[in-house]
Amino acid sequence: MKVVITGMGVVCSVAATVPSFARALREGRCGIGPVPDIGDGGPRLAALVKDFRFEDAVAARTSLPEELRQSALRAARRSPEPLKMDLVAAMQAFGDAGLHRCAPPADRLGLVVAGHNLSSGYVQDLYPKYENNPEYLPARFALHFMDTDRVATLSQVLGVKGEGYTVGGASASGNVGIVNGSRLVESGAVDVCLVVGATTDLSPMEKRGLATLGAVAGAGDAEPELARCRPFDVRHEGFVPGQGSACVVLEGEESARARGADVLAELAGYDLKLDGNSLPDPHEDGEAKVMAGAMAMAGVRPGEIDYVNAHATATPLGDEVEVRALGRVLGPAFGRPWVNATKGLVGHCMCAAGVVEAVATVIQIRHGFVHPNLNLRRPIDDGCRFVHGAAEPADITWALSNGFGFGGFNTSIVLRRPPHAP
Amino acid sequence: MNEDVIFETVKRNVLEVLPDLEPDRVTMTGTLTDLGANSVDRADVVTMTMEDLGLVVPIAEFRDVHDIASLVDLLKRQA
Repeated sequence: MKVVITGMGVVCSVAATVPSFARALREGRCGIGPVPDIGDGGPRLAALVKDFRFEDAVAARTSLPEELRQSALRAARRSPEPLKMDLVAAMQAFGDAGLHRCAPPADRLGLVVAGHNLSSGYVQDLYPKYENNPEYLPARFALHFMDTDRVATLSQVLGVKGEGYTVGGASASGNVGIVNGSRLVESGAVDVCLVVGATTDLSPMEKRGLATLGAVAGAGDAEPELARCRPFDVRHEGFVPGQGSACVVLEGEESARARGADVLAELAGYDLKLDGNSLPDPHEDGEAKVMAGAMAMAGVRPGEIDYVNAHATATPLGDEVEVRALGRVLGPAFGRPWVNATKGLVGHCMCAAGVVEAVATVIQIRHGFVHPNLNLRRPIDDGCRFVHGAAEPADITWALSNGFGFGGFNTSIVLRRPPHAP
Repeated sequence: MNEDVIFETVKRNVLEVLPDLEPDRVTMTGTLTDLGANSVDRADVVTMTMEDLGLVVPIAEFRDVHDIASLVDLLKRQA
């Protein structure tokens, strides 16, 4: 069965909708800014969502029925901000796919929320209240601290009554969600599946922990320069945390045709494999294996890949291992596809990253460009066709989007421009 | 503590939890359930009101609360 993407949504540091994300990517707008020093040696930079007002974002979904918008406000008005962002991204994708006009029966609609440990920041914020007077913990706390609150609230608002759950794979969670969503559709468990890359609200303690491992750029610096996020540059030194959510709607080609939904891209292949490794270090073998596996499933040859949306968090080891793995998989075609890193613009959206990057990839396929690697001056590899400081026009039929996570999670997906598209 | 102060605090929190509600519908004789509050909404109103008033009432004591008047009365006895 051909699985296709028929709807997309995104809320991140540079865009509140998919069309504005397309403009931001083309312009190479960067959402990274300074964050206050809390004196713990943690990140001093982050790509945060700016000026997000839930009521306004819901009101802006004018194509959706008033009743659905009211239901969103009622269900999530008092929820933590990250859930509100997920809901808005999901509402965008739901409307984009025309599910408010023509949807399968509620129990044939699925929902996969990609991510785990999503609300630790919220929990840490409430800790002082708990310490002072546990009786004053909000009654909703017991609902909101669970990752599954995202599944529950989104399913209530969007009327999802088929299969649904959270799935996790550290920084590869987004792709893990896309793989699971595709399998739900392929197996016939659901007709249509929303996959939401969930806004990951890390606590200061967790961010400090990541900085301890040397994974965060500019951690603890008094005045870190904003250009510190440098995927693929010899001066790369780690990732910058990003805030964001994204959603894709997956369904079979037949279902899309029957519903009269536009096909934005085909999810032509994927692969997901573990390294059998509890550490954060990436492995060339595992990365190469999933890229080759996803390409084999899609039936695409190395010389046909036009574009790679790399995982590329800008940690030295991560970038270098990914480029080596790409070299191994692409062989003589290594220098052919454009390669860029969306994390250089929107930061590392952690569990949401894979879905944010899938949306970025589909945008670039459809709009015929590749976005810049903003801070790339001296590439770590001369053979790889990195985009530099400005967007380039690109005719993309086949694209690869990678996601790798601490603990040996390797994922890769292949996206294809639909044959009838311009 | 004045009963009116307690009632007004309950009312403010009911309206925060149920913002679509007509304020005049919140009365001493009404129940939170009749106003459209679910079980978590009701628990939210109670915890928020306790915090606003600086009171701590053991959860078990809310068992016998059946309307806004008995909620106000329970809070008043603890004040």
